[in-house]
Amino acid sequence: MDQFLQHLVNASVLGGTYALLGIGLTLIFGIMNVVNFTHGAIYTFGAYAMYLAAVALGLNFFVALPVALVAGLAMGALIEFALLRPLRRSDIDTTMLVMIGAGIILQSGTLWIFGGVAKAVPTPFPDAPLVIGPVSVSYVRLFVFCAALALIALTYFTINGTRLGRAMRATFQDHDTAALMGVNVSLIYTATFAIGSALAAAAGALLGPVYVVFPQMGDLAAVKAFAIVILGGLGSISGATIGGFILAFAEEIGAGYISSGYRDAMGFLIIIAVLLVKPTGLFARAERIG
Amino acid sequence: MQMTRRTTLATLAFALMCSTAFAADDTIKIGVNQPLTGAFAASGTYVANGAKIAADEINAKGGVLGKKIELVIEDNKSNPTEAAAVAEKLITSDKVPVMMGAWGSSLTLATMPKLEEYSVPMLVETSSSGKITTSGNPHVFRISPPSSLEAEAFAPLASKLGVKKVDFLVINNDWGRGAAADFSKMLKAKGIEVGLVETMDASSQDMSAQLAKLKASDADTIMITAAVDQLTLLFKQMAALGLKKRIITTGGSQNPDQIIAQAGPTANGTMHIVTFAPWWPEKSTNPQAAEYFIGEWKKRGYDFAGTTESFRGYDGIRTIAAAITAGGGTDPAAIEKGFWAVNIMGLNGPIAFKKTGPEGKESGQSKPEVYLIEITDGKIAPVKF
Amino acid sequence: MTRLLAPTLLVVLAALPLVLKDPYLVNALIITGIFTICAMSLNLLLGFTGQLSLGHVAFFGIGAYVSALTALGFDVGLPFGLRVTYEGGSPLVGFGLAIVVTGLAGYLIGRLSFRVRGAYFVIVTISFAEVVRLVALNWVELTQGPLALTSIPNMTLPLPGLGEVALRTKIQNYYLVLAVATLSYLVIARLVGSRLGRAMRGLKENESLALSLGINATRTLTIAATVSAAMAGAAGSLYAHYIRIIDPDVFLFSYTVTMVIMVVAGGKGTLAGPLVGGLLFGLLPVALRPVMAPEAQWIVYGAILIAILFVMPKGIVPALEALTRRRVARAEPNPALEAGAQP
Repeated sequence: MDQFLQHLVNASVLGGTYALLGIGLTLIFGIMNVVNFTHGAIYTFGAYAMYLAAVALGLNFFVALPVALVAGLAMGALIEFALLRPLRRSDIDTTMLVMIGAGIILQSGTLWIFGGVAKAVPTPFPDAPLVIGPVSVSYVRLFVFCAALALIALTYFTINGTRLGRAMRATFQDHDTAALMGVNVSLIYTATFAIGSALAAAAGALLGPVYVVFPQMGDLAAVKAFAIVILGGLGSISGATIGGFILAFAEEIGAGYISSGYRDAMGFLIIIAVLLVKPTGLFARAERIG
Repeated sequence: MQMTRRTTLATLAFALMCSTAFAADDTIKIGVNQPLTGAFAASGTYVANGAKIAADEINAKGGVLGKKIELVIEDNKSNPTEAAAVAEKLITSDKVPVMMGAWGSSLTLATMPKLEEYSVPMLVETSSSGKITTSGNPHVFRISPPSSLEAEAFAPLASKLGVKKVDFLVINNDWGRGAAADFSKMLKAKGIEVGLVETMDASSQDMSAQLAKLKASDADTIMITAAVDQLTLLFKQMAALGLKKRIITTGGSQNPDQIIAQAGPTANGTMHIVTFAPWWPEKSTNPQAAEYFIGEWKKRGYDFAGTTESFRGYDGIRTIAAAITAGGGTDPAAIEKGFWAVNIMGLNGPIAFKKTGPEGKESGQSKPEVYLIEITDGKIAPVKF
Repeated sequence: MTRLLAPTLLVVLAALPLVLKDPYLVNALIITGIFTICAMSLNLLLGFTGQLSLGHVAFFGIGAYVSALTALGFDVGLPFGLRVTYEGGSPLVGFGLAIVVTGLAGYLIGRLSFRVRGAYFVIVTISFAEVVRLVALNWVELTQGPLALTSIPNMTLPLPGLGEVALRTKIQNYYLVLAVATLSYLVIARLVGSRLGRAMRGLKENESLALSLGINATRTLTIAATVSAAMAGAAGSLYAHYIRIIDPDVFLFSYTVTMVIMVVAGGKGTLAGPLVGGLLFGLLPVALRPVMAPEAQWIVYGAILIAILFVMPKGIVPALEALTRRRVARAEPNPALEAGAQP
């Protein structure tokens, strides 16, 4: 039982960042109909931005985090502006391949600039864990969990409580009508991609200090994000939030009781199972696209 | 006359061919096959840098057989298939007569069929899987200890430490699995119980699930085989889970100083089986070379933590140079013959190859020293009993 | 013009080893040939039916493992106390089994994944490849996991009077790959020229229209997926017996990306496209290797992929065709051709 409680706590803490990753991806797909293959590379980018800010520039940990988030925002806006805007009328396959190309460039660029040796980002938190009964959790993970929840709440607020969010929702419903109603759809697309990327970068900046930062870290993060999004239904933000926690839980239980080697397989097995049983995801609200 | 002219012509043609194929005829190329990117990037880069120090030292002293040596360093990306491709490229494209590599056991094992295909000898500097020298590949010469040798050296210490039951957490490849098998055998022979054997992927970042399992076990000691990056993460995650047991790491790729720098106080109390103790160069089997090497390493601005890894590259290249000198030629066959005659003093014991493996196709194995150290209060000390 | 491309290429490639002796270059050509077979087979799905499958490497890898294990033998425990032990046998049998098993896998995956389209299809295919990779990584008893399958024997060919002869040299392997590539090309050419090929293209152009004309979408797509997978499996088998070591990284997404780049750059939906793209992108690393680091090479790859999608979204072969057609039209004014050149 103690071991189970520990797994449960581990999973909840991990689930927050998974949800963050999933929301960023699903937002971009829902509004822009683009499968963002740069998501993993931007997660890595966020982690390196954190490393640069905290280690190379020597900024305070809590100052470096927003810096990394803004870097992700800017990178997202740049990619949308340079690569997606000219392809607005292209089919989904073309944009997917362009995103794959951009992801390769970003990842190889990181490898080229920083080399393959992993970097560690120091945290201001104590190494000793917080112990509550049979369960212990490190302070840094607890902080990451809280920060992830705060960012998720901020995203919900942006979408449901601001003018920008209303325009985003309008574009999501029907971009032609939205354009007719005076919504600057191009701007909404740029904003959407930038916000989605900022969330991925934030996830990288939060998890980088927990683990280590290295150029290929985004590969696994990206496939996990895909699993979460499929699980929750492409385009569904609440689905991605819940999906993030389900995936973390499935992984932790799988690793703890079945085999640690299949930890990362859980996500894909979930994808395949969901698509066989309910192809639109568990919480889909958008119509199936494609 | 006729004959001489023909030979002269042939020599001329050969020289021409050489001058085009090999950019410079007065150098001897040595292929270095290391993981410079991927999961083992840190360790592989250290070994390559150690190799460069040896090459520069040898060249400054006039080279071998009157020729300078030139290292051709290639990245095997921590991947076995890539390691085999690198060996192929070094042999066929760069035409190196001898190689050093390939850090990890799985990487080394992957290159070994290429050695047989082209009959080119390779010096193995780091890998510890037993299979490397027992599979009957006569082109392999290893200076690192196989895990059975590590286990043997550790055996008397196990009872002194009061070890009762051991769980293993090892990297999921030839290196980790080989270490778990060899140490289990030794422990069982000494009447010590062996519990769980947990594995982790080379690229795993989150081992909390495995650690939660090990925390719940009744063993008093966990033996870990992994490279430094993963060890750092493990110690941090153990602290986060409140896992407090005796930790002993094997494999000699721990870089204890890096662990102290990155894992901080969470590394306190951990023990490490290492093959070179750069903290006490005066106690090395070759103090003069050890001090020169450590001095040069620092002078080049490399991280001191890397010396426990990079000395293998240094000793490896020195061994290859000795083999070339002893063999008296720069072709693969002469160098291979030369390896059997090598007798130099390495940084961790004398280097001389003994035949191991199936008769007629023996590989060479040297027998280095093994040390057990402990991290206490952020400092490294020999384990006291 | 492009109709002559394939036969000309075949003659040039068949004669190449007579002048090319450098084993390093022959090696590069063999690997390129193997990946070109993969690209051709992927083109059947991606180009002719319009389904962007990003899990193609799964079939390549399964083919490699099936063939290698058939040659090496295995001894695995199964649930319920069953044990399967196999001594190991001829690589040629492995080659055949690789084709059969991957064809079957392609059929099953096709049946499952063609229930969805677009982004869902893409993600389900990626997931399939990753699951297979993780199985190969973790089923250590069968696949040796990250320890890799080593010492895989070379491919053998039964020759009259000589028995089974192992193809050990690079030149022998080169001709083997060339032969399989030629055969694959012919099968694909035959298939797309048939009724089934027309149905495939119909589905690509307009799925609802094709359905209303009575084309069975799932059946057509599944056949394409089966043939495509079997071909990739054959390529995987050649790969395993040529490089003689395989590890779970044969399932890496980057190999799929390489195949996709070959198809898209060469021209999806054309017969010659994957050949041109395959040769170009297979040999590009060899040309780039001396001048830049591998990371930089991948940056160039990514940039070329994006550039091609922006500048000639249809690929090199269709762009060349359009160019020659225009030139011919200009040289001898022909109203019919002129009209044909207009989009």
